[in-house]
Amino acid sequence: MIYDLIIIGGGPAGVAAGIYASRKKIKALLITDSFGGQAVISDTINNFIGYKSISGVELKNKLEEQLRGQSNLIDIKEGTKIEKIEKKGGDFLVITDEGETIETKTILIAMGSSSRRLNVPGEAEFTGKGVFYCTICDAPLMKGKAAAVVGGGNSGLESVIDLLPYADKIYLFEYSENLKGDPIYIDKIKNSGKVEICAMAAVKEILGNKFVSGLKYEDRKTGEVKEVKLNGVFISIGYRPNTDLVKDLVKLNEKGEIIVNHQTHQASLEGIWAAGDIADSLYNQISTAIGDAVKATLNIYDYLKKK
Amino acid sequence: MIKIYTTQTCPYCVMAKDYFKQKGVQYEEFDVSSDEKAREEMINKSNQMGVPVLDIDGVIIVGFNRSEIDKVLGAAK
Repeated sequence: MIYDLIIIGGGPAGVAAGIYASRKKIKALLITDSFGGQAVISDTINNFIGYKSISGVELKNKLEEQLRGQSNLIDIKEGTKIEKIEKKGGDFLVITDEGETIETKTILIAMGSSSRRLNVPGEAEFTGKGVFYCTICDAPLMKGKAAAVVGGGNSGLESVIDLLPYADKIYLFEYSENLKGDPIYIDKIKNSGKVEICAMAAVKEILGNKFVSGLKYEDRKTGEVKEVKLNGVFISIGYRPNTDLVKDLVKLNEKGEIIVNHQTHQASLEGIWAAGDIADSLYNQISTAIGDAVKATLNIYDYLKKK
Repeated sequence: MIKIYTTQTCPYCVMAKDYFKQKGVQYEEFDVSSDEKAREEMINKSNQMGVPVLDIDGVIIVGFNRSEIDKVLGAAK
């Protein structure tokens, strides 16, 4: 059997595509490791239209529930990773980690993004041992301790706010001169009395023995290298697209995102579309990911009709 | 016997617990942000501090990893 469409990813973009594909009766399969994507790690989402406030996990449950409601019209594989995508004539072969090879006419890539790494000594060694990427998960372990957040954009400021109820002392490291996040967050952080903002700071190394015990950074104004003692480092310097699987198939931009036509969301190789954080859209919001995935799916429908 | 070490704010902990419920598997939960003994136990078992940590009959899984859970539960049956 050959599918018309395989959707890879179970975040907002993948699920939106799944719902539209099933309503259009496209013979489709959605493959995902798990549902929800990056949206899951938001404590509360206040800008998703239709909900005054919803948690990331609640939204994930709603998405999954709506998609599974269409399960007579679409096949779903959850808990599956993709090993490889190959071209086969005009079609594609998708090879899973379960050793299965599935053939399809088109692919929508919606694999999203994951936390960007700092790439300094100690980071990989101490991941989980004081270096964390999910502040909302691991902030409670900093009760009564000193912690650092690296990154002064909105995700960094949110990390500081997640730590406020627990940590005694929080260092916020920002590479440039000013924090880039929303003023509403900056005020909250400045008023807490717990946060020391270190701007113009380049984190050089994460120190420790078995667990993290400190951090070394360069004060970029003076060139001086300083050291602070702390127990946790929360890295919030944005996201990188999960394009390892497709980097040889389609064209990427300098950020590693898949370059798409913004009217159709087609990638550089015929038969492949991309939407959500993995595509080169200017803005990465849950709502824009959904909108882009819907456009892509409708375009796939038109393409399949003509094929 | 299944133990799950969590914090109250961690979304992947909720997802792991939901997955156990969906599979009809019994588990015991320990909140490591308030239970210091459990925190020590979790760190000793997993050699790290991130949550969730799952202990399925002595097999330790760090994070919510469905295929790992399926593998371990499948082997336990």
